[in-house]
Amino acid sequence: MPVLFLAATLAALGLYWCVEMWVGSPPPALRIALLASGAALAVLVSGLSAERHRVASQTARRYIDMLCQLDASAWLSGSAGNLPDLPSSNAFRPVLTGVRQCLQQLAERVEEAEHQKTAADARVHRVALERDQLKEILSGLTDPVVAVDSYGSLILANSPATKLLHLPASAEHSALEQLDRCEELLGLLTETRKRRCNNSRTAEVKLADESGRQHWFRISCRTFADESSSQGSSRSSGKAAETLPANQGAVAVLTDITHEKAIQKRNAEFVSSVSHEMKTPLASVRAYVELLADGDAEDEATREEFLGVIHSQTERLQRLIDNLLNLSRIEAGVVEVNKAPRSLNELLEETINLLQPAAAHKRMELVTDLSPLYLGVLADRDTLLQAAINLVSNALKYTPEGGRVTVRSRLYDESVVFEVQDTGVGLTPEDKQKVFEKFYRVKKDQQMAAGTGLGLPLVKHIVEDVHGGRIEVDSEPGQGSTFRIILPGMNARDA
Amino acid sequence: MTKKILLCDDEIHILKAAEFKFSRAGYQVTCAGNGEEGWACIERELPDVVVTDCQMPRLNGLELAKRIKNHPATNQLPVIMLSAKGFELSPEQLREEYGIIRLLCKPFSPRELFTLVESLLGNAEPCVAGISTVTAVPAAVSRWL
Repeated sequence: MPVLFLAATLAALGLYWCVEMWVGSPPPALRIALLASGAALAVLVSGLSAERHRVASQTARRYIDMLCQLDASAWLSGSAGNLPDLPSSNAFRPVLTGVRQCLQQLAERVEEAEHQKTAADARVHRVALERDQLKEILSGLTDPVVAVDSYGSLILANSPATKLLHLPASAEHSALEQLDRCEELLGLLTETRKRRCNNSRTAEVKLADESGRQHWFRISCRTFADESSSQGSSRSSGKAAETLPANQGAVAVLTDITHEKAIQKRNAEFVSSVSHEMKTPLASVRAYVELLADGDAEDEATREEFLGVIHSQTERLQRLIDNLLNLSRIEAGVVEVNKAPRSLNELLEETINLLQPAAAHKRMELVTDLSPLYLGVLADRDTLLQAAINLVSNALKYTPEGGRVTVRSRLYDESVVFEVQDTGVGLTPEDKQKVFEKFYRVKKDQQMAAGTGLGLPLVKHIVEDVHGGRIEVDSEPGQGSTFRIILPGMNARDA
Repeated sequence: MTKKILLCDDEIHILKAAEFKFSRAGYQVTCAGNGEEGWACIERELPDVVVTDCQMPRLNGLELAKRIKNHPATNQLPVIMLSAKGFELSPEQLREEYGIIRLLCKPFSPRELFTLVESLLGNAEPCVAGISTVTAVPAAVSRWL
C-alpha cells in the first residue's frame, strides 16, 4: 500500500506538472486545486488498494480458519478437497493452496504412521502373548529349564527351576552366577556356551527339593543361536550378518532321574544279593566235595551226611535259579501251569516237612492247625507248593529264635483259606504296602536274613495270576505277621 | 597246647564243613551263627584266630572285625574273612581299618583256609586266656599285622 500511495502521489505530481506545462503559469487557486486533486487521487488509490488488501486478507483468514477447523477425518476422507479455493484474484491464494496441499499430505502421512503403529502394537501384543504362553508352557513342565545368552546372562528360568535353584522371581537378565546352588550346572552352561558345540553335554547332580529331599538330576545342556547378540555384532561391524559366526547361548534341562537311580541301585543290589545267594550254597557244595575228595570223611555215615548236604545245597541253588527264572517268566507273562484237583492240606503238610529242620535249627516251633475237612483246590502243585514254602520260609527267617510259626487252613464260604502266622518282627503300614514289590526288602530287617526280595512277589503272582486267588497280610511292628491266601474252592470251579 | 579257632558264619553247612576240617586237625573249634554270638565267644575265651563270614545277622563280619581291632585286649587277634560279595576296599584298607589280614572269596576251599590258618599259627604259642587276662599277643602273630 505505501507503494501505491507513492505511485499515486507521483502520478498526481506528474499530472500537475503536465497541467502546469500546458497552461503555463496556472493561477494559485488552480494550482492548489490541482495539488488537492492529486493528493485526493493518491489517497483514493491507496485507500482502494488498502481496502482490497484488507478484503483479501480477511478472506484468507476465514479460509485459514476453515482449514484449521477441519479434523483429521475430513483430511483423510478427502472432504477437505471439497473446500472452494480462494478467488484467483486473492493474493494469498498460491500460498494457501500450497499450505492446503501440504496439510493434506501430512494428514496422509499421519494416517500411515498410525496404521503402522497399530500394526506394530498388534505384533508386540502378539509376541508378548506368545512369550507369556511360552513361559506358561515352560512353567507347566515338571523339568526345570534354564537358559543363558551368549554374554552369560540368565534369560530364562521356568518355575520349577526357580524353586529348585532358589532363584529370585526376577532372575531373568541377571548374572549366571546366581546359579551358585548348583556349581555343576553353572560350569556346564558356561562350558557349553563357550565351546559353541552343537552336541548335547550331560552331567548328573544331586540336589535337594523344597522339602529337603535329595533328588538326582540329569542335566542336558546344548547351545542355541543367540540372534539378538549376533544382529548387534553385524550392525556394529557393518558387515553382513551371515559372514560372522553365530553367537551361542546355552539351554539346560534338568530331568529327575531319582527313580531311575533307585531302580539302578536296587538292580545292582539285587545282582549283588543274587550273587551272594548263589555263592553260599556253592560254597557248601565245594567245601563238602573237597572234604570227600581229601578223604576227610572216614566213615560211611559221614560220607552220607556230606553227600546229603551237597544234595540239599544243590537243590537250594536250583530253587534260587527257579525263582529267578520264574521271575523272568512273570515279567514275560508266560507261565507253564498244570492245574489239577489237589488237597490243600497235603500241600501244606509237605511244606511243613520240608521246613521243619530249618525251624529246629532256630529252636522255633513250626506248628499246624489244619482243617479236618478236605479242602480241594484246582492248583498247579509245584507253584502252589512254592508259594507255601516261600511264606513259611519267610516267617521262619523274620522271627527271632525261640519264636513260633503257625500254619492254618480252613473253609470259608466257597473259598479255601490258608494262613501263615508268625511271632516275628512284623511290618509297618508302609512296608505292608511295598512288601509284594519285586526286590523290596525291609531295610531294618535285612540283617536278620538273606534274601532276594523275590519271594513274596512270586507268591503274589502264583496266588493271584496263576490261581485266581488273593493274598492279604495283617501285621504290626513287633507283633508278628499273618499272611493269608484265599483260593477258590473246588466246588466253585469247574474241574 | 591246642590251638583255638573261632568260626563265625550264619550258614550252618559252611560252619560244619570248616569245623570238621579243623577238628580233625586237632584244633579246638568254637562256632558262632552271627557276629554277636562270635563276640560273646571271644569274651569268654580268646581264640588264636577268628574266621568270619561277612554277611551275618546281628553284627556282620566287618563290624565284628572292627570291634576286635578296637578292643585293646583283642586288637592283635588275626581275623580272616570269608565273603560271597565283592569288596570295594583294597586288602590294605581291610587290614588298616578292620584288621582283616586276609579275605577269602566264597565258594572257598577248606583246604586253602586250613593251610592259611596253619601258616598263620604254625609257630605261635596258643592263647590260654579270655579278654580280661590277655596283655600280650604271641610274637609270631604280629608279623601278619
